[in-house]
Formats: sequence, C-alpha cells, structure tokens
Amino acid sequence: MAIISREQIVEGLEEILGKEQVITDEQVLKESSLDRYRKYEQVCEVYTQPIPAAVVYVKSTQEVADVLSFANENEINVVPRTGHSAIEGGLETALKDSIVIDGSTMNKVIKVDEYNMQVTCQCGVPLQELDDMLRERGYTTGHSPQSKPLAQIGGLVATRSIGQFSTLYGGIEDMIVGMEAVFPNGKVCRIKNVPRRAAGPDIRHIICGNEGAICFITEVTLKLFKWQPQNNRYIGYKLDDEYMKLGFDCLREVMVEGYKPSFARLYDAADAQQHFSAWLEEGKAILIWMAEGPANITPAIEEGIKGLMSKHPELEEVDPALIEKWYGGLNWGPEQIAEEKEEILATRNIGITTEVSGSWDNIYEIYKTACDRILEEVPDMTLMGGHSSHSYINGTNMYFVYYYNVVDCAPEEEINKYHDRINQIICEQVIKYGGSIVHHHGLGKARAKYVTQEYGSSYYMLKTLKQAFDPNGIMNMGTLIPLRK
Amino acid sequence: MKILGCFKVVPDLDLIVEEDWNIENHLHIDTGYAKLIWNCFDEGALEMMLRLSDLSEGLNVVYKLSALTIGRQKTENFLKTLYALGFSEGARICVEAEDEILFSPEMISEGIANYVKKIEGQDVILTGIQSSDGNNKMTPYLLAEKLGWPCITQVIGLEPIDEEHLKVTSQVSGGCIVRKVKTPCVFAIGNAPCSYLRIPTLKAKMKLGKRPVTRLVPEDMGMSETAENVRVTALNPIDKKRNTVVIEADSPQEKARCLYEKYLKERLSEL
Repeated sequence: MAIISREQIVEGLEEILGKEQVITDEQVLKESSLDRYRKYEQVCEVYTQPIPAAVVYVKSTQEVADVLSFANENEINVVPRTGHSAIEGGLETALKDSIVIDGSTMNKVIKVDEYNMQVTCQCGVPLQELDDMLRERGYTTGHSPQSKPLAQIGGLVATRSIGQFSTLYGGIEDMIVGMEAVFPNGKVCRIKNVPRRAAGPDIRHIICGNEGAICFITEVTLKLFKWQPQNNRYIGYKLDDEYMKLGFDCLREVMVEGYKPSFARLYDAADAQQHFSAWLEEGKAILIWMAEGPANITPAIEEGIKGLMSKHPELEEVDPALIEKWYGGLNWGPEQIAEEKEEILATRNIGITTEVSGSWDNIYEIYKTACDRILEEVPDMTLMGGHSSHSYINGTNMYFVYYYNVVDCAPEEEINKYHDRINQIICEQVIKYGGSIVHHHGLGKARAKYVTQEYGSSYYMLKTLKQAFDPNGIMNMGTLIPLRK
Repeated sequence: MKILGCFKVVPDLDLIVEEDWNIENHLHIDTGYAKLIWNCFDEGALEMMLRLSDLSEGLNVVYKLSALTIGRQKTENFLKTLYALGFSEGARICVEAEDEILFSPEMISEGIANYVKKIEGQDVILTGIQSSDGNNKMTPYLLAEKLGWPCITQVIGLEPIDEEHLKVTSQVSGGCIVRKVKTPCVFAIGNAPCSYLRIPTLKAKMKLGKRPVTRLVPEDMGMSETAENVRVTALNPIDKKRNTVVIEADSPQEKARCLYEKYLKERLSEL
C-alpha cells in the first residue's frame, strides 16, 4: 500500500510526465479499475474494485522507468496495460491508490527486417494494424487471437497469448525474438535478437507471461512469416455430439501423424450452434482444419487429413466453402463489445469463456465432467459447451463457453453467484485430472487463488522470481500470486 | 386473449464476407453459411408479448401466446426456444426455398391470414414492421386487410386492461399516443424499447422445448394461390465509400485550426 497520499501520487506523476499524460478523470479511473472478467459489473457500470489514483500514458522507455522508480520508492501498486482487452482480472486495481501505466501511446513499429524475417515494435502497437501492414508486404506475424482488433503487442506477450493458427506458428512464446522491459527499480533490460542461444536459461520467459507482475514490457521483436492465403485449404466434418471423445482422438491422430495444419478445432454441439447454425443440425459437433503455407504443401496436408478421417464412419464431410466463410468472421472487435453490452443490459444474459489445457488422455474427462458439474450445480444456465482450438503433439486445449441469466442478483453479487463458481468448478476438474487451469488468457487475479495447485512444488520458483524482481511488491499485486487476506 | 407472434428467421448479414456482396452476373447473394438470428423487429415483438404476459400476473386476464413462422426446418429451433419461454403453440408453414418468398409479402400475409382463419383463431397478431433481408414493410398492412382488422403501427408498448382490450402505446409524428384498443387488431412493431428476446435456461428448454411444432403445407394455407407479383431483375450494391480529405500539418493544433477554418467555421455560423 502506498506510503504517500493519493494527492501526492498525482503530484509526483505530474512532475515526471506533465499534466497532459496523467489522467484523473473519475470515469476513466473507474473504467480502469477492472477488465472484462467483471463483464457484468462493467456493463452495469458498477465498480467494486479500488479506484486507481491515476492512469498515466507513457511515451518512452525512460518515462516507464521514471514512473516505476517513483512507484517503487513510494510502494505504490502499478498495473501495466496496453490494449485493455484482458479477461481474467489481470487489469483490476486490487490495491488502493494504484497507478495504471498505459503503454498504448508507445505505438511505433521500429523496424521491419524482411531479410532476417523479424519485426520490432513498441508495446502499444495494435496487432491488427501491425499484421495488416505486414500482409500488404506479403508477410504475417502468424499471430491471430480473437482479440486481434483490440490487443496490443505488450499485453499479448505479457499474457502468453496464442492465436488461431497456433498449430502451425505456435503461441506468442514461439514468435518472440528479443525484448525490452523495465523492472520496478527502473532498470531497463534488453534481450538481443538472435535466432537461438544456449547461454544459460531462456530469460525471455521471465518477461513473457509475467502479466505485469514482474516488469513492464516496452519493446518486442517478433518473427515474420510469408503470408500465402491463396494456398489455404479447409477441411470439415460433422459428427454426433455423443462422439466428442472420438473428436478429440481425431485431433490427436492428425498431430501424431505429423501434419501441421494452421488451425485444428473441435466444437461440441452447443458451441457449434453459435457459429454454424445456418447449416449444421442441432446435436452435431464439428471438426475443422485449415492448412496454410506453400502451394505444394497445403494440398498434401488436406489429403493426409482426409485420408485419416476416412477411416471413421461416424464423420460426415462438410463443404469446405462453409468453413472458409465462417473463418472470415471470427474476430472480436469494439463493435461486437458495444453490441454485447446492449444485449446483456436488455436480457441480463451473459456469456463467458474459460480456457484450459490437458493431455490427450485426460482432456475429454476434463471437458465432460466440468460441463456436467456446472449444469448440475450452477443455476440459470442457458448454454454450456466449448471447443478445442489449439492442439499439440501431446494434448490440446479446451475453451469452455457458457452463458447464464443473472437472476435476482445485484451486479456486485453476480461474480460470486455465477462467474467465480463456474471458474472454480472448471479449475477443480482440471486440477483433478492433471491439466493446466490456464491455456492462454493468463492467471490474472481470477485464477491466482489456484496458483499453488497449478504449480505444485514449482511454485517456489515463481514466488522467488516475484520476490527477486519486485521486492517492494508494487507490480500488479494480486495477479499471478494472490493477495494475502 | 389469444395472441399470435409472427416472426422470421434471417441470416446475420454482418457475417457475410465482402466478396459475397459482389453480385455481378447473378441475382442471388449467398447467405447460406451465415448464422441464423431472429429478425430484429420480430424479436422485439416477441419480447413485447412476454412482457405483456408478465404484466398480467395478478390480473384477471389470461394471455395464450402462440408463434408462427414461414420458412425451412432450421426455423423450428427458434419455435422451440419460444416454447421454453412459455409460448403454448408453435407452427411453421414449411417453405424450404426461402429465397422464393423473400419479396412476396402478399403470399406471406395470405399464409398468416389463413392460419388464423382455418387453424387457430386469434385476438391479436404482432409482427415486426419489416424483415432485415426482404425489407418489404408490407406484411402487417396486407395481413390486417385480409383479416378485415385494424392495424396499428410503430407500437412500443402493450399493457393489459381486460379480455377484450389492450392499452397500446405507439409512436406518431412528434410524440407518442396511448389508446385503449378493442381486439381483434394487428400490431406492427418498429422501434421496440425491448429489442432483445430473453433467453430460456437449459432446464426450461429440456422441460418445455421438446414439444412438437405444428407443420403446415403452403398450399393448404392458400400461399400457392397468391401469384408472386414481384421478380428481382437487378441488384446493386450500396456504395459505402466516402470522399475523404486527409488534413496534413505539423502539429495537432495546426490540424485542428485547418479543420475549423476550412470545414467547420462556415457550417457552425449557419446554426
């Protein structure tokens, strides 16, 4: 907790940055006290978290260093952010008089290095703008999360984001080359851009996934890939929902046989109706793949996957054109958020997602038992389902999708009655069967309470990292490691 | 009082990819892959029916809510949703080739009118003012004419009075008008204050949503006797491009000054 007053915090920040970059407008502060984990509170404009003292917009690494040094000396909690698209409570200001450091004004693409196939950007570069610019030159980052229209580079790296084409390109951890980050004492560290090195531990991973709880990311260099959409091939099959276990096995077969589609997805019937209701019968799950890359490779991947799937009489092939067109409307931008807000207020019906991962031998049990428990234990559910959207040689993820009506409940009570309860059930089932409670949204504050169960004996390493880099406890407290009550 | 909600299921046009709006050399836009949604005006009408029913609690009026749609089998999922929300009857006039009736409000109103005359008599009918794909804006008027009932448009509120009357609020030029209306009557819903339909729980869907839908043949509803009197002869996309000027200057202050001097000053002086 800060050792100086709220007024002194603002004065200090204004001395460092000037008044224009220090925002104390009440509405901005309120909206900066939470993220989309408290979506219902957000749309109802009810704010239950401590309101920050200021939101500051930083323009340079030096300004970040100066603000962090000031916060460190005065023990002020800081919450780093860029695109403000977090959905697991990572951007909640859990302590009184926090400072939100917003890096969205550090938005320059520093260098596109087409020969070495890498691009260097400041933390506030919007991913959509970056990738659109690269595509005009025939390149892509290969990173395309659903939040692409909202998210910015710093936040994507801080949360260990993953994109829809991860099966080919990997998660953001596979794309980062070098980085620059500022630690709470103001120390600026740069990790150089090299294709690989074996000079000790890979220290990029202290930064990647730190969720603003260890440092502030100011610059990132990402790999580039050739963008060749003209070669894309789409493959789809429908199957009865009761064959979901077979669906996971089909995803596994493709991975185990060594194919590298860019996306590989399995939707259960409930979730599938949200996307494919125009042509997919109720009660049908769906398997889809997209092959991406050079022209002589994508047909081979298509042929290989079709060959594998032909051995399963339970599957029925669907027109690939339907998959291709669905893929065109997948992302989630400001228009959808505005529309969703209006709909939630009108219907008191809210939709949430929670993503986890598991090995091939436990993912079905995680999926099935979590869905069953939620339907049994949580009232007012209107949809319970999910999909797998990121597969690996040894397992896959599960993206639970659920909707419920908020009934007889004040906005500030919704989180306890519904959202936290559902999260708890999912986490319990994942831990019981040996998966990970977080696949790509970050622990945030919502799931930090399960961190010791998630990490087991390796929690020692995480806690030691936090204590070493942030001894005064100023970096996004409550994220990764829960606050002591 | 028996109230019928007539609704249409439409593709979510926001999901249509850009190249599909390219309509050179053909008269068809492929919407077959887009998610199906309630026609927005009909959705408001159906929610209005439920709110009327909610308001009747404790009063000596009983509302029996029914729903009718004309379309392909996929639309039955929507009727089952209405069952789960408390509708007691759901019927579909089975038309698989929905494109063929897209611009045929005459046929659609004939089908609805015959359903009311031959299958299930009603006291009140609610429809959306138009559909988001056909945009004919004629069905409620033609329906009222065929039934010989009055039609009130731009209805934004319904409240119970007794078994034969409703308190009806509708928008008129410059304001709202509140009337006590004797049934039967057709109400056309435009800017409904509640434009989203409530969502039934999965338990309600399990309990109530499995009842069969009444399926009707278009010929039996007199739809084939109504000749299609409109044929598409051309389609032209709306040009959404706007003329744009990029203001270039060295500082935001200079840009603002240029914007004001060149583009705003004169207009503001006219206010």
